[in-house]
Amino acid sequence: MISMLCLMLFVPRVFSSSTQVAVIFPQDPALWMGSSLTATCTVSPERGLHANTMYWTLNGKRLPSSTYGLLSTNGLSVTLHRLNGSQQQSGDNLVCHSRDGHVLAGSCLYVGMPPEKPVNLTCWSRNTKDLSCKWTPGGRGETFIKTKYTLKYKLRWYGRERECEDYSTGKRYTCYIPKDLALFTPYEIWVEASNQLGTATSDVITLDILDVVTTDPPDNVHVSRVGELEDQLTVRWGSPPALKDFLFQAKYQIRYRLEDSTEWKLVDDVGNQTSCRLAGLREGTVYFVQVRCNPVGIYGSRKAGIWSDWSHPTAASTPHSEPLQSGSCDPKSGEQNSTLRRELKQFFGWVRKHACGCSGMSIKLYDQWRVWLQKSHKTRNHVGIHMEQKKN
Amino acid sequence: MSGHVKNMCPQLTISQAARTLLSLLLVAAIDSVSAGVVCRKQPCGSSLQRSLKLTKLIHKESVDLLKTYKLSQGDMSELFCQMSINNVPDPNISGLDPSERMLSIYSHCKAFLPHLKRVTEQQTDLQPPSSSLLSKLSTAHNRTNGLANQINCIYQTLFPNLPIPPEPVDGPTSVPPSQNVFQQKVYGCVVLKRFKEFLSRVTRELRTLKSQVCTRRTTFADTNALF
Repeated sequence: MISMLCLMLFVPRVFSSSTQVAVIFPQDPALWMGSSLTATCTVSPERGLHANTMYWTLNGKRLPSSTYGLLSTNGLSVTLHRLNGSQQQSGDNLVCHSRDGHVLAGSCLYVGMPPEKPVNLTCWSRNTKDLSCKWTPGGRGETFIKTKYTLKYKLRWYGRERECEDYSTGKRYTCYIPKDLALFTPYEIWVEASNQLGTATSDVITLDILDVVTTDPPDNVHVSRVGELEDQLTVRWGSPPALKDFLFQAKYQIRYRLEDSTEWKLVDDVGNQTSCRLAGLREGTVYFVQVRCNPVGIYGSRKAGIWSDWSHPTAASTPHSEPLQSGSCDPKSGEQNSTLRRELKQFFGWVRKHACGCSGMSIKLYDQWRVWLQKSHKTRNHVGIHMEQKKN
Repeated sequence: MSGHVKNMCPQLTISQAARTLLSLLLVAAIDSVSAGVVCRKQPCGSSLQRSLKLTKLIHKESVDLLKTYKLSQGDMSELFCQMSINNVPDPNISGLDPSERMLSIYSHCKAFLPHLKRVTEQQTDLQPPSSSLLSKLSTAHNRTNGLANQINCIYQTLFPNLPIPPEPVDGPTSVPPSQNVFQQKVYGCVVLKRFKEFLSRVTRELRTLKSQVCTRRTTFADTNALF
């Protein structure tokens, strides 16, 4: 007994840390914005501290003594009205201090609002194999309290409710269901939002996986000239291989633009062909072309699916109407020659560096160089902008 | 075939010193594996130099880590770091001779690991998922584990006759039981503050150790002579 006492006397640090100096109530409460709170700080009598020497701070700011209430010799309260939303997700720090500023105890306040009903819930399936869904927080978005979202789904006419588990696809407010999805039968899907102040549930959407199918962009997109026709180009592409066994009729869209333009022109009436001729183009001009696919009629369905992403841009140029005259004495054609010569020099330099020599020389290689040139112009411009912003 | 070997062998003689060296190498090899960490033999100076560089890196990152931590806890968090909490490893390196001090460094590294892990778990609930604090905590944990392994190997190499005790010599590694949020904020700050101070001490200590235990021509014979 005596040895225990000695131990306690000679190890004050252990003793003082094993019993709390003071206790605040409530501890870590969740509160509505605009509400009031009365908190109490009760000091252990052994500390010998009197409550009228203590004070409160909230997020580092001392609270006026007019808000305090003396409960007892070792208990002090504080009343806060019309609370503002929390300043950080880890909670606002309400701290009780002794006269010299030492921290006696603390409590973290979580001030916010219950979540509102999530909205704009949409889902899509990639090649009928999986299901991805996204939604938007309701109202003005998430309040200051951490909100958890759970995507739930069940087969409409039978089956148990299941929860989506993979929220880590990188984008917020999305979830991914990788497998074990039934076809030809509708699902009911919804999102539940919850935080410490309440919950809210989105509207339920009903869908059949086969009605929300998207696929990969077409591959092997080739753009080529139509003989010497200076206003036309032919575009050819492959149908997405992932859906080749599903007996569907895809429809396609093409868009194209001039090399130096940002405006795309859309060709919408391509149907289910895998080639198309673009006409009415400008001669001697480089065009960028993209194709995308919509899987229609999967497993005999007549409904359209969801458009895929656009394919990577493919470049091609239309022929010039007149071939350049070599050896001409016309000053204008001379200027054209020097411009052409300069361009050719740049092109050959690029070929040596990037294309392993001239063995695969073709007009396609020239087009690839034009694409690369435009990309590097854009990069230089972006760097320029970034540098300007840094200077500012 | 044996006749061929017979012709070769009479020319070979193994000196007494070489036999001793071979035995020592065998023992050291067995010891280095038995600790659970496979250590490859490396020159003393370059091993300690590598550990010193790693320590400097972790220390530099710990300064930023503590700063990021404080910013994430809201105002008034400076005071939190000054509160006293039990069971958090202290930053001091103990011991009189190089082997004890090296062992103290190793033990402290191991002792900090569960606390760093606990702080990471707690802050995962308190911070938004995109918070850089979480990745910095994870990096600190991984690097400290790496440093502990390095020190372990160097210790085994330099002091093969001194086993590393299974439990840390400098105190318990138990993390505190469940805490309220305010206590978690305080705990995390104290852990990271002491962690930063510890690394500063390790940096100085490794410099000293390098000059004490690594001479230009340290061999196993010389190392053995220390004892």
